[in-house]
Amino acid sequence: MNAEVKRWLEEGIVDLFLGYKAVMGHCLPHCFVKEKIEEVDDLIVGGSRYALEKIATHITASKPDIKIGMLARDCNQRALNVLYIWNQLNPDQIRTVNVNCCPSNLKEHGDCSYLEPQSAGIFKQQVGVDNTWRPGDLEDYDQSQRLSRWMYEFQKCIKCYGCRNICPVCFCRECSLEHPELVETGALPPEVPIFHLVRAVHMAGRCIDCGLCEDACPVDIPLRLLYRKVNEIVVDVFGYETGSTSAQSPFSIVGDKVTLAPKSLLSN
Amino acid sequence: MTVKRISFLQDLLAFMGLEGRLHLEWISSAEAQKFVQVITDFTEKIRMLGPNPLRGRRGFQKAAELKAAVGLGKNLTIQHKVERVKNEC
Repeated sequence: MNAEVKRWLEEGIVDLFLGYKAVMGHCLPHCFVKEKIEEVDDLIVGGSRYALEKIATHITASKPDIKIGMLARDCNQRALNVLYIWNQLNPDQIRTVNVNCCPSNLKEHGDCSYLEPQSAGIFKQQVGVDNTWRPGDLEDYDQSQRLSRWMYEFQKCIKCYGCRNICPVCFCRECSLEHPELVETGALPPEVPIFHLVRAVHMAGRCIDCGLCEDACPVDIPLRLLYRKVNEIVVDVFGYETGSTSAQSPFSIVGDKVTLAPKSLLSN
Repeated sequence: MTVKRISFLQDLLAFMGLEGRLHLEWISSAEAQKFVQVITDFTEKIRMLGPNPLRGRRGFQKAAELKAAVGLGKNLTIQHKVERVKNEC
């Protein structure tokens, strides 16, 4: 891998390469360039995971013609796919080195930090939402239980914007969650559940289920569960599989053939 | 597309525990009867569901914050605001 990356940089196939480098025992994202080609020897896959494609998006925003190479796990590839669809990156300018990812029946080993959530403690199990739940698990509870459980989780929010900042597919120049007229400044927690639902709706058709948001969250809000549910609904209602198709997101299309009837008033 | 977007939102709200509080209906300006019927039914449904569980949450919070501010003797006019917020809740 290192020799191949060196060749890419030397031959100018890519202008820079995003990968990981071990610094004092920590695996950190690093930008490798031709001028410091000797650093490529330190390029590692490592177990950590960062949104390298987000760094690529930022670089491309200021230098549109730059050619970028990067390490890509499965989640990175899904994120890249979404970024291509939303015209944030040009597939012709991105070269990836695909690396081993999540374990499966075919391979036991995976180079990933996994980001497995910890099972909730007793208190959280009683009043909150367990981070290890699947979207279907919440259906065991009635409406008021669901609301109070989610409100317990959301009220912990310290509005650090960590979920948005780490998110590989959050690229808006202006974020509605930072708009002073939409989100009150200087108030904690932010207006719940609206704050989180706004983000959840924006994740529809975009979230690629990498789980970095939940990992970044300092108060363990089960964001991954929420966005998983959101994208389950997107599959049900729009028939759109986020990350694995090259079709435009249904939320960017204005008109479509009507295949659904509105829900009747008596349905629920 | 609207019907899909609203279906999406209805499903999301149901997941959050706010089911049945969002409704979509197409009514022509010539369908006065239908308009009346839908509004009546929906009003009745909302009444059955009871007040919005989120309503007041923010209001009460604000009232508490303002009360704390009054306790510090920051501003006399805040007292009026507390009364107003209380009445709203």
